[in-house]
Amino acid sequence: MTYLFQVLNGIGLGMLYFLLAVGLSIIFGLLQFVNFAHGAFYLLGAYLTYDLVERGMSFWLAMPIAALIVAVVAGVTEALLLRRIYKLPHTFHILVTVGIALFIQELVIILWGPLGGSVAAPDGLNGVVIWGDFIYPKYRLFTIAFTAVLALVLYWALERTRLGAIVRAGSESTENMALLGYDTLRINTVVFAAGAGLAGLAGGLVSPIRGVEPFMGVEALSIAFVVVVIGGMGSYVGALVAGILVGVVQSLMATIWPEGARLMIYIGMASIIVMMPRGLFGRA
Amino acid sequence: MIGRRKLLLSTAGAGLFLASPGLLRHASAAGDVLKVGIPVPISGGNAANGKYASMGAIIAAEEATAKYGREVKTFDLDTEGKPATAVRKVQDAIQQEGIQLFAGGILSSESLAMGKEADKGGANFITTAGADEITGTECNAATFRWSVPTFGAINQSIRPIIDALPNAKRWYTITPQYVFGEGLLQATKDVLEEKGLELVGNSYHSLTEKEFSGYLTNAIATKPDVLLILNFGAQCADTLRQAVSFGLKERMTIVVAWASGLEQFEALGADLCEGIYFGAQYWHTIDSPANAELVKLTRAKYNENPNYSLAGSYICTKLMIDAAMKAGSTDQKAVQAALKGMTYAGLTGEEHVRPEDNQVIKNYYLLKARAKSAMANKDDFAEVISSGQSFLEVAKTGCKLS
Repeated sequence: MTYLFQVLNGIGLGMLYFLLAVGLSIIFGLLQFVNFAHGAFYLLGAYLTYDLVERGMSFWLAMPIAALIVAVVAGVTEALLLRRIYKLPHTFHILVTVGIALFIQELVIILWGPLGGSVAAPDGLNGVVIWGDFIYPKYRLFTIAFTAVLALVLYWALERTRLGAIVRAGSESTENMALLGYDTLRINTVVFAAGAGLAGLAGGLVSPIRGVEPFMGVEALSIAFVVVVIGGMGSYVGALVAGILVGVVQSLMATIWPEGARLMIYIGMASIIVMMPRGLFGRA
Repeated sequence: MIGRRKLLLSTAGAGLFLASPGLLRHASAAGDVLKVGIPVPISGGNAANGKYASMGAIIAAEEATAKYGREVKTFDLDTEGKPATAVRKVQDAIQQEGIQLFAGGILSSESLAMGKEADKGGANFITTAGADEITGTECNAATFRWSVPTFGAINQSIRPIIDALPNAKRWYTITPQYVFGEGLLQATKDVLEEKGLELVGNSYHSLTEKEFSGYLTNAIATKPDVLLILNFGAQCADTLRQAVSFGLKERMTIVVAWASGLEQFEALGADLCEGIYFGAQYWHTIDSPANAELVKLTRAKYNENPNYSLAGSYICTKLMIDAAMKAGSTDQKAVQAALKGMTYAGLTGEEHVRPEDNQVIKNYYLLKARAKSAMANKDDFAEVISSGQSFLEVAKTGCKLS
């Protein structure tokens, strides 16, 4: 029975990992750009949500506003700085985005201090749901439902809308899109901002579960990369499947081999790299 | 057009300017500045503790400068919480800066490594880290420890709870898998066995873990009466936050064996902490003259009350400075001789450096978090419900100093 509980818990965890990683995956798919600042946008989203709630704003309002602010910050950063380095080798992408991540992290410490804080779950989602021996927080159940709905909306947006078609075509060939008259610079900015905004949304969504602390972005980035590598860089479905897979493995391992729970995630990633270098759903 | 004289003067001026850092450094080294290295994690998961430790050391240095009329300077060394980095920073500080006094180390693993390095490098090191081994089987002449080790922390935090809750028969532990966690877990097993109580399960986790829902699910499945949390700092805050969200506070007694103190309460908030027990090395309301002075100094400098990280670093730095002043030198053997057997007015009352293992003998506290409505001021998060001293006899520590 415990294993069943751990699988259910792992699915919940995996949905959060999906939300965290999907923005990173989309950005890589379109821009072929390795964004090491992704964890910092998650951090910023969490802290902005925390700050707005502390100022008395409803959590339901604070979370989307925080994500929107993160998207704007990311969009401006892309337009002013990042688009100048797209054509350079990946090492430059890493250097610049690590610099941005450190800047945001230090800014968070200056603005909110080094201690971190807690965000209360919104009214109505406090407490737990009990099924026999299984106890699960209401807020975690909400995050599963919320992320599932968001995943469907994202899928629809990517597969069934004109913007989604442009993004998918852009990930095949930016040059062809430019030849067809599309403003690829603007598309890049919008996609980058949306990807970072999703990370910000994940930060806000996670804040009642994990609280906020200045170094949460580092851990989030490592999980996001694991999910993207396993799922396949640029693959939406890959991010979803890999997110759930990582969550379930981590949760199950807490029962089977607790001290190796985190290690197993990285072993899984290494195995995928060896056996399927492009990930589970990566394109050739 | 620039003349030859002006060119020569400019060149000389530029040369002097470029050389000035070296000259200034030399002048500084030649002066009578007492240097204390503060090797603590300033980045990484325990950076908040490191930041407060740095603040506490600065207070001790300023206090000593005023008291002794000799400039005392602290040098922050970012260990990142990693033993290898910590050792490298201590080596560099000894070789390049000539520092022989070190006060720091938040994690036991880094403290064990730094203590050995200080011993080898002709320096002395004092720490607040908890593993019994530091002043036990892995003790050395150059390593001192202010905090109560894991044995005493467990004895002082869980024995009063066992006495107060006779029906709490089943215990579950969540333990970080490194020397500190192992020490706490072993001490817990010993006490529970002695009292005829059952440890129904334990979940180990790595030092980088942030997600504890899987471990909490394990704990719930065993239906314990008490959940004993044996990790520290940010991980402890994450565990507690998630345990409360899983409704464990309503189903069992939650005990944190080694809380990081006021900063932990501030980060978690009163509502979340209410009713939870916390073992603590220090609390800012301790009634002692030395603590009253520290509270005054901290409020004056930082406009806040001291927490454990700040207070621990303050007293460790102060002990090192006082010993060097008493010895009239920073020489390794002279400072050791001054520290060994020292009895002084400490933050927790009279404290004593046990000469046989370099362990400071001091009180440990058990706190119970108050309801928010019962707090008298913004830092009145908990009441001290018991205090006392539990230390292994020297013969049982495994330390072979004497």
